[in-house]
Amino acid sequence: MAARCLWRRLCQGSSFPVSYASRVMQKQCFLPNMDLVGGRFSGSHVHTEEPKTNPLVSISDEPEVLYRRLSLLVKGHDRAVLDSYEYFAVLAAKELGITVEKVHKPPKKIERLTLLKSVHIYKKHRVQYEMRTHYTCLELKHLTGSTAAVYLEYVERNLPEGVAMEVKKTKIEKIPEHIQEPVWDTLPQVEEAEVKS
Amino acid sequence: MAAAMAVRALRALPHIRIPALPASCSLHTTPPRLKTRAARVRVGKGDKAVTYEKAHPPHYIAHRKGWLSLHTGNLDGERCAAQRAVEDSFVRRFLHGTFPGCLADEAVLKRRSNSLLVCLLLLRRLPPSKLCFLLGYAETLLSHLYKCPVRIEAQTVPDAAVYKYL
Repeated sequence: MAARCLWRRLCQGSSFPVSYASRVMQKQCFLPNMDLVGGRFSGSHVHTEEPKTNPLVSISDEPEVLYRRLSLLVKGHDRAVLDSYEYFAVLAAKELGITVEKVHKPPKKIERLTLLKSVHIYKKHRVQYEMRTHYTCLELKHLTGSTAAVYLEYVERNLPEGVAMEVKKTKIEKIPEHIQEPVWDTLPQVEEAEVKS
Repeated sequence: MAAAMAVRALRALPHIRIPALPASCSLHTTPPRLKTRAARVRVGKGDKAVTYEKAHPPHYIAHRKGWLSLHTGNLDGERCAAQRAVEDSFVRRFLHGTFPGCLADEAVLKRRSNSLLVCLLLLRRLPPSKLCFLLGYAETLLSHLYKCPVRIEAQTVPDAAVYKYL
């Protein structure tokens, strides 16, 4: 049910940017289209339409996996690209109704190499290179398994070139039954057995 | 001269402090061997046309220049940088040979999750039919060689954009 709703929201919004590359073009026409979408539904009379079964959507009876936190660490060489990607990811999360807990930028890491400048001898003359990695961390709160799957698929497909992402999921699980009650409550009470002679 | 040398000798010893004498000032030039020549076009008579890419030396990368090859190999904690570098150099040589004299500028290579996107700027030296054939040939051959989808996005320009004359 949740999966179906999410897919419908994704497919319906014509204003929703299809790919990251077209995000800049779509940004300007985003707001007016949302009004149109709202207008279309509010003006229509009550239709009892049966929901069309989408072959891409699979509905299962298994209980949903719950995630307390989804942490996306995005790495890149160019801070401007990371800022732009962060705007896109936050917009996508808000569109899908996901609460964004925190967006922070860990400090950059610089890896430096010192090599000999010349092919042969001249040990005193060296060349130094460095590789800078900038980070952005996006933390999302309280997701279901299907929401996380949809969001991650969308966001990962639109990763720009030269940008890497690490995803960490924190799952919420039920306490196993054997720990739920203290051991001393579950032991059978010692009864004095009557010795039958 | 002797005084200047004595002052310099004394200055070399860190624990002795002497006041700076205004009279000693020597011209210090770099010997020719010490200049870096990496990726720099040397200033000439003003007849050499140079593109924006070639006019800027490598210390301007990420400040005034971008990157020609975009992949995640060089990021912190990522692998396979050397393989990407070898693939990039092969693709550039391949394109240099396939489009002889038609490349206006260096090709930009972008890697997006297994696919390779090559962005080319070509001069209008060849007829369009031959250009189409060469693009298809390059795409097919590279995708068979590297076992990944290769797309070439080419744009033709009348002349290479000149930034400076050096």
